[in-house]
Amino acid sequence: MRLVVSLVSVLLLLAGSAPVRAEQGVTDTEIVLGCSNSFTGPLAFTGEQLTKFGIDLYFKGVNDAGGIHGRKVRTVYYDDGYKPQEAVANTKKLVDQDKVFAILSPQGTAPVAATLEYLEQNRVPLLFPYQGSPVTRGKKYVVNGMVLYDRQAKMMIDYLVLQRKFKKFATIYQDDEYGKAFLVPFEQNLARHGLKLVGAESVKRGATDVSAQIAKLQAAKAEVTFVVLTPGPGAQALKERQKIGWTDTLMVSSGPLTDERFLGLAGEAAEGVEGLSLWPDPLTSDLPGLRAYREALKTFAPKGEPNRYALHGYFAAMMFTEGAKRAGKTLTRESLMTALTSMKGFDTGILPPITIGADREPLTQGFWVRMEKGRFRQLTDWLKSE
Amino acid sequence: MSTATLVHVVVSGLATGSIYALMALALVIIYNATRTLNFAQGDMLMVSTFAGWAAHRAWELPLIVTMLVAVAAAALLALVIERVIIRRSIAATHWDVLIITVGLSLMLRSAAGLVWTHEDQAFPSFFGDRPITLGPVKLAPVSLGIIGGSLALMLCLYGLFTHTRVGRAMRAVAQNQRGARLMGISVERVYSLSWVLAAAVGAIAGVLVAPVTFLSTKMGIVVINGFTAAVIGGFGSMPGAVAGGMLLGVIENLAPLYLPSGIRYSVPFLILVAILLVRPAGLFGRIEQRKV
Amino acid sequence: MRRWALGALGAGVLAWPWVAPRYFVFLASLILVNAVVAIGLNLLSGYTNQLSFGHAGFLAIGAYAAALLTIHAPAIPVVVTLLLGGAITAVVGLAFGVPCLRLGGLYLSMATLAFGFVVAEVILNLDALTRGADGLRVPAGRIAGWALSTDTARYYLAAAVTAVLVAGAVNLTRTRVGRAFLAIRESEVAAQASGVSLAAYRTAAFGVSAFYTGVAGGLFAFVVGYLSPDAFDVFLSVDFVVMIILGGLGSVPGSIMGAAVVTVLHDWLAAFQNFRPLIFGAILIACMLFMPGGMARALRPLGRR
Repeated sequence: MRLVVSLVSVLLLLAGSAPVRAEQGVTDTEIVLGCSNSFTGPLAFTGEQLTKFGIDLYFKGVNDAGGIHGRKVRTVYYDDGYKPQEAVANTKKLVDQDKVFAILSPQGTAPVAATLEYLEQNRVPLLFPYQGSPVTRGKKYVVNGMVLYDRQAKMMIDYLVLQRKFKKFATIYQDDEYGKAFLVPFEQNLARHGLKLVGAESVKRGATDVSAQIAKLQAAKAEVTFVVLTPGPGAQALKERQKIGWTDTLMVSSGPLTDERFLGLAGEAAEGVEGLSLWPDPLTSDLPGLRAYREALKTFAPKGEPNRYALHGYFAAMMFTEGAKRAGKTLTRESLMTALTSMKGFDTGILPPITIGADREPLTQGFWVRMEKGRFRQLTDWLKSE
Repeated sequence: MSTATLVHVVVSGLATGSIYALMALALVIIYNATRTLNFAQGDMLMVSTFAGWAAHRAWELPLIVTMLVAVAAAALLALVIERVIIRRSIAATHWDVLIITVGLSLMLRSAAGLVWTHEDQAFPSFFGDRPITLGPVKLAPVSLGIIGGSLALMLCLYGLFTHTRVGRAMRAVAQNQRGARLMGISVERVYSLSWVLAAAVGAIAGVLVAPVTFLSTKMGIVVINGFTAAVIGGFGSMPGAVAGGMLLGVIENLAPLYLPSGIRYSVPFLILVAILLVRPAGLFGRIEQRKV
Repeated sequence: MRRWALGALGAGVLAWPWVAPRYFVFLASLILVNAVVAIGLNLLSGYTNQLSFGHAGFLAIGAYAAALLTIHAPAIPVVVTLLLGGAITAVVGLAFGVPCLRLGGLYLSMATLAFGFVVAEVILNLDALTRGADGLRVPAGRIAGWALSTDTARYYLAAAVTAVLVAGAVNLTRTRVGRAFLAIRESEVAAQASGVSLAAYRTAAFGVSAFYTGVAGGLFAFVVGYLSPDAFDVFLSVDFVVMIILGGLGSVPGSIMGAAVVTVLHDWLAAFQNFRPLIFGAILIACMLFMPGGMARALRPLGRR
């Protein structure tokens, strides 16, 4: 009997702990944001960079300067280890228990897709998710974060076919949603030019050896090989190419791969690699936004190194801050979405002026780079995927 | 596919296979002494390689010293784990230790991530990446180096087990524990020793393979390939572990060459299941009689 | 007393969605799903000494089977879908289990580990059916024309199914098969000597275990609403092992307690991010060293009082 009484009192306690408020996650002094992300599992590094060295970095600056309309930003992160069921649990917990105002920059196609319906139903803004599959396109409460993969594929192929006059393309891609999300648009865009892939080889996540795949692509005599892998296997593919002395192909890295981490791992094997870059060089760019980013990194997280994952988080936090500022003192989810989707020509100092239209896809551009003496050198101006 | 390509892919597979073989040997060394499976073997490899790397970065050590640091770290880790945790469950069934080492595996991976982050790190190599050309065939020095280094280590192990007192004691314990004890061999010391030896073998494998696959907290998963290799060869047999490892490495590399992407990555597991079903004793092993 | 306790528990389970915040209803559903898996795994490991590191694979088969049935044959009532999911999983479990009979101990554990990998790999590559790595959205299950589209509805479904399966597991130990399981648990050799066919009962245990886990997989699909091969990795299988080790091998109440504690801890520790595996690993080791028999044995003196 005592058990029942205690059980019931626990239940009542839990039930009573849910206060009702005008707009969830916003008080006079605070805005609560959060996301489910990978802190363990295959993409743990990216997850940590996005959140602790990206989002938090920017908000520390904002909070030190007095916050947004006097409200400090607080962030809550939970680990999903890249599992959709945990992303669902974490996101429900964030919305129902932690009462977050919006979800900022969660990671991965399956984890994000798993939470989409729930967030839409509850009208919780999902801002700048770090994933590029088109599943997040056309949702009412989503502002897309990455240049979606089909747009990246289109830019890469149009540039290489029209401006560089290449004809024989192949790809080495990761055997998961990231790799496969590039495969179909590669084929579609090549078909527009009357071409097709001469080779497509998959690599298992966490593979130890890619010699067979590279050998097959060499035998297919590809002029251009798209590398759609994560930094580790990507660098392995480059080293493998060096091992067999395959020089007459151009290796081209996908947007998420075009990062200094990847170059660091591949070392001199990365010389001459080209790629689509979605962000300016975080280490050396002179753009005011990047100088501010490196300054913030020095001040708030001296142990962190500049990279594009962290920069994505930093950018996402900056965009949220701008949106929340424009929404004014009475911040609601609807007013935030209105402010964000009516944003025109906002200068971040990182990317070209940002306009978020009705399609909620603010990022549609990238530029072409080539790796020369350990750095990416910019070859073109911003390319558009329109 | 041209012969030159085939040779390159097979050699590359032998290099990967050497690492599997070393991992299999490490598992077999512990299994023979204690009749238990150390699921954390791969994560011990990972942690000790990280330790060597950290020392290398801090003091700019030459590579050979880095390897010694990794081996020392591995030995220390193994000794502590064996004495503090495994020894307490010495009377336990084989799967108690399996579960404990699964727990250890989780802890080591997580702890390594906290200390060194989960990102991939470049690791210095003894060998270059530029190909050596032999007629139409191109071979990578790093592949040959891994194979050579592993074979040298295997020879050392062979010498240890056949020509030293310690090695003979370990073999005696493997054959008959009670008999060995009656002969005056300290079985407990052999337990500790086999953990230390297995960890040291793992550390060397880690230093050899890290330049190719990069150093990361994910590399502990190699234990599964090591186990598969040991099973192919016949669990408990050392020559079997070596042959099984090499075979697995080559098959794993040839699969993407000939099989569609849908099936190629299941091949190692299908081989494991097939061997277990068709010939559980493996290529070299004997079926143990179950005693009451 | 026992009847009172059961009644109180039943009332608590029924009342839960009306007193608890929405998130805790969802969390309770997850506990129920995990409890069914833990019972299923325990029938195999606790009774017939076969440790599986591949139950995430069985869960995946049940989950995908239920999801695909719901998508392609929405007219089938949800209970039938769950049963079919369980049956399909049991068939696969038997097909896999029968040849594995001869393998003892470590080999079987490793064969199940390999099984888990192969299942994830197959799901990934059957993308025409499973949508591969992109993941599969699971529509709401239907029963008598009524869609189970709220957390509360799904919770009641999970609670009802769990209740039936718990009753089944408890009563199993009173049947001939169950007594044979218990005999095998105590001593394989002695059981064999008294005429218990080790092979037959091990196979049966495999089938029953796979059936339970497959049904749990169906529940999982409806409760979570989204499936992808990444969901069912070896770490999930290890989580299930933690549940039965912590709860107590060979104990049905222990399985439920283990599932509840692990699920709740998992939830609390989500904020500790990469400390989580560290803590779970430590729990596993501590249980093996200091609490053999798990919570079921540790709490037994309390029950007697």
